[in-house]
Amino acid sequence: MTTSPPSAHIIHSDAEAIAVAHKLAARFAVEASVRDRERRLPVAELDEFSASGLWGITVPKAYGGAGVSYVTVAEVIKIISAADPSLGQIPQNHLGVLDILLQTASEEQKAYYFGKVLQGYRFGNAFSEANSKNAGAFETRIRFDGDTAQIDGEKFYCTGALFAHIVPTVGGNEQNQAFIAFIERGTPGLSIVDSWDGFGQRTTASGGVTLKAVKVSRRAVIPAHNAFDSPTANGPISQIIQAAVDTGIAIGALEETKRYAREARPWIDSGHDHGWQDPFSIAAIGELEWRIHGTEAILKKAGIAIDQALATPNEETVAHASLVVAQAKVLSAENALLASSKLFELAGTRSVLGKYNLDRHWRNARTHTLHDPARWKYHLIGNYLLNGVKPARHAWN
Amino acid sequence: MNALTQPRVGALSLTRAQHDLATARQLFDATLGFVRQQVHIAHDPLVISRFGDLHIRIEVAVALLERAEGSLAGTDDDAEISVAVAESHLASADALSAASNAEFELTGQRTALPGSVDDPLRAKQQLIGNFRLNGIHPPSFRSAG
Repeated sequence: MTTSPPSAHIIHSDAEAIAVAHKLAARFAVEASVRDRERRLPVAELDEFSASGLWGITVPKAYGGAGVSYVTVAEVIKIISAADPSLGQIPQNHLGVLDILLQTASEEQKAYYFGKVLQGYRFGNAFSEANSKNAGAFETRIRFDGDTAQIDGEKFYCTGALFAHIVPTVGGNEQNQAFIAFIERGTPGLSIVDSWDGFGQRTTASGGVTLKAVKVSRRAVIPAHNAFDSPTANGPISQIIQAAVDTGIAIGALEETKRYAREARPWIDSGHDHGWQDPFSIAAIGELEWRIHGTEAILKKAGIAIDQALATPNEETVAHASLVVAQAKVLSAENALLASSKLFELAGTRSVLGKYNLDRHWRNARTHTLHDPARWKYHLIGNYLLNGVKPARHAWN
Repeated sequence: MNALTQPRVGALSLTRAQHDLATARQLFDATLGFVRQQVHIAHDPLVISRFGDLHIRIEVAVALLERAEGSLAGTDDDAEISVAVAESHLASADALSAASNAEFELTGQRTALPGSVDDPLRAKQQLIGNFRLNGIHPPSFRSAG
């Protein structure tokens, strides 16, 4: 689908990243509902997204990027996701991979891949296994033979892969240590299928990837397991992007709720002439407002905690980042679902008409918040406070 | 007063939010200390996650209190300040209510809490909702007596 990368602008500061995100989000919002309804993949929008430079903002200053704060990363993803959460989700693995490169790649690899990203190259992902026992078990194999590595396996939930120029793929070696191979599109044996037909996040093209005797140079492989063998911020970084997408969905749904609640018919027993005079609707908006502002405030604190864990990686800072990001994850999931459901309650039956397509907010919230279960985030936090158990280190904490 | 009349507020203060938050933390700590002595429930996943839930509510209250303090000290206009303060009150009260219920469920005791009939939470929801939904400004706290 995508053959040559666009040439990308280079963003130089946190403030510029946020300004660019606002400008793009306003454009992405215009046809978000149509894209969802028609399941029209956002090919042109993604090229515009890449060209904006936002996919390179976490490249460290030493490699020519802006090295922005994770407060800014979360803000950018939140802003884009409030307009179109499929577009907000597509860079999630790209951003996670950039950090794994930072943590585990050689200097030569960092210079090469960070350079590509600044030019506008997009990473997809082939991480999740189609058939393994749980999310952390990898059946895809990587075998090293001299200067080459061969990858065989079958992947699913490969968000972004269809749109990617390079597909980072996780495979286990003989000792079951996880490596990531950077496989260029068009490499023989790599096939990407757009099989994603979930009812939400419909235009993420989160389909499948199969790898049959795919060969890459040893120089295109990084020892990703090192990002979790010792404490790094990579787990919290993966998670804050998830939470930022869901916070964006909550904000988008809240704005829509206010618009439609104002136009709702007054209930017969209310004694009012307009829906916006309904005391229960007014109170419900008050409730949503503080809950979503609380979510945004915690998301920001999660970004600060990640910045600290990146600056000073150790058991304590990484555990702290996991704990704060878990709060953001729980709150964003709950409030995305709450706002996208209240929307219909306050707007009334006419709001369910197909022509409005307002269900996309709930479908997106329900789908994306299943990435990893919020119930285990309550447990992660409680187990630390009650029993002193630090969060396990993996891509879901 | 009907639903569209903004409630009158006294001199704007975060005292109640601070107090509710401090009490929520006390109840959390006391309940945590109690449960740690009960080995048979300290490893029950539902009890463990209950503390996760309480902690999140307390942290939200902390974050919105800080935000309201910043709003009061900064350049926000009066309506934004009133809304930020109301949000802080609601978040602290939510944390306190959850902590009190957890205390009762897990320890069998309930610490008595002061009432708030004079400054009801429902008026905070109304203040925020009326401003955000209908653009009706909260009464100025600078002139309210």
